[in-house]
Amino acid sequence: MEDNFFSDVWKRRSLITLLAFNDVKLRYKNSALGFLWSFLEPLLMLAVLYFVFSTILKSDIQDYPLYLLIGLIIWYVFSRSSTLGLSSLLDKAGIIQKIYFRRELIVISSCLTAFIMMGFEFAAFAVFVFAFQFIPPITILLLPLLLIDLFILSLGVALLLAVLTVYFRDIKFIWQVLLQAGFFLTPIFYRLDMFPEDIAKILQINPIVPIMDTAHDLVLYNSLPSINTTLYIIISTCVIFVIGYIVFRIKDKKIIEEL
Amino acid sequence: MDSDTAIEVTNLTKTFRIYHEKKNSLYEYLTSFFNKKRTSEELIVLKDVSFSVRKGEMLGIIGFNGSGKTTLLKIIAKIYTQDSGVVNTKGRITPFLELGTGFNGELTARDNTVIYGVILGLTKKEIEKKIESIVRFAELEKFLDTKLKNFSSGMNARLAFSTAIQVDPDIMLVDEVLSVGDLPFQQKSFNAFMDFKKRGKTVVFVSHSLENITRTCDKALWIHEGRIKAYGDPNTVVEQYRTFSQKKS
Repeated sequence: MEDNFFSDVWKRRSLITLLAFNDVKLRYKNSALGFLWSFLEPLLMLAVLYFVFSTILKSDIQDYPLYLLIGLIIWYVFSRSSTLGLSSLLDKAGIIQKIYFRRELIVISSCLTAFIMMGFEFAAFAVFVFAFQFIPPITILLLPLLLIDLFILSLGVALLLAVLTVYFRDIKFIWQVLLQAGFFLTPIFYRLDMFPEDIAKILQINPIVPIMDTAHDLVLYNSLPSINTTLYIIISTCVIFVIGYIVFRIKDKKIIEEL
Repeated sequence: MDSDTAIEVTNLTKTFRIYHEKKNSLYEYLTSFFNKKRTSEELIVLKDVSFSVRKGEMLGIIGFNGSGKTTLLKIIAKIYTQDSGVVNTKGRITPFLELGTGFNGELTARDNTVIYGVILGLTKKEIEKKIESIVRFAELEKFLDTKLKNFSSGMNARLAFSTAIQVDPDIMLVDEVLSVGDLPFQQKSFNAFMDFKKRGKTVVFVSHSLENITRTCDKALWIHEGRIKAYGDPNTVVEQYRTFSQKKS
């Protein structure tokens, strides 16, 4: 990358974290149930999926409630990062039209907002772990690495969507439909090997799928991803991030005029 | 650029694309392939503008509405990108194009000050250290933990102005916001500007108050329809501008 993106981002980390924490704060202030709201959506989803799959469809997945919860947390952080990132430039138009700083900072901070909320959800997960008297395996220590990768992937997607949305406002609706489809085509509430092998292979092209599998393996099953899976996760993340970043850079100069 | 120049603008040109019918969705964009119409035209906002401002100088920019004054400030502040020409600046720039950028009514004065300071380029620690002197200058000590939505617009403006001053930039770009607050506060902010100048800092400000220009500025720049019409001694430029305006009306 020709310019000093990373050092610029590092210099303005104060701005990124402050905007992110304030967004979290405002989010909870504006709703009656406040803080609890952020748990309700995943918990409700958890209850419904659990009911459907454990009683009606008789899923035999080990530690199914925890399996589901991990899946939901990982899915929500990705879908929130990309959705918040998508509208971030429009939401913060009032600021970026009046003061210059790297516009990427706005997108990074909205992804960070989603990851802060994920922190709360992991706190809820800890409660579940305790309630089920589940002892997490040692491989859970590698989860932060996976989350860093997920952050970079989400950021790449968010950068691309954010800049495209400035030009085409209906990207938002297209993305919502894609996310809806993604929810069902990702092993959140089922296991990928429940599909015939060739279908599973196609689904695995979506980088979120191997990330999801790896999260389940690390947190619940004390198993490490294969070298191929690891490489695929890292490489697809890098490719998506670089695409997002380059498109953003190309369009950056005219963003303010198009807002 | 020699060492005592703060801002140097050379052959600056900027055009905007004005849409007759703005296409804002992918759907419209795709359908317009089959329905070709000229829907935009170029508007030249600034044409071949060159000038320079020295450190410690105060430059006043005058001109009719829509003549390109704010666009010029926004290009110096890097918010807009020029089509051609070069802008060189030295030191930290604080654009003060609006009072309280990023202010949020739901947050307290303290939180808003911190956000504003960080947006303007300080770190959180730096701005937290200055918060006492900011509210003292704004005379809002008692309201530090009041939500901003309960502030009057004058209080809002005072808080914003005090924060911007405390950020202590090298170059300040001010767009028509000097007339904030009541008379005593106006006097106070005027003094703050003069003090700012004395310390070798540079101010560029856009104003319709010709009296302010002649009273405070070292130089004046008159922009008309995107071109420089006159540049130099404030009294002369303002006089030319007055005569021109009277002839027009």
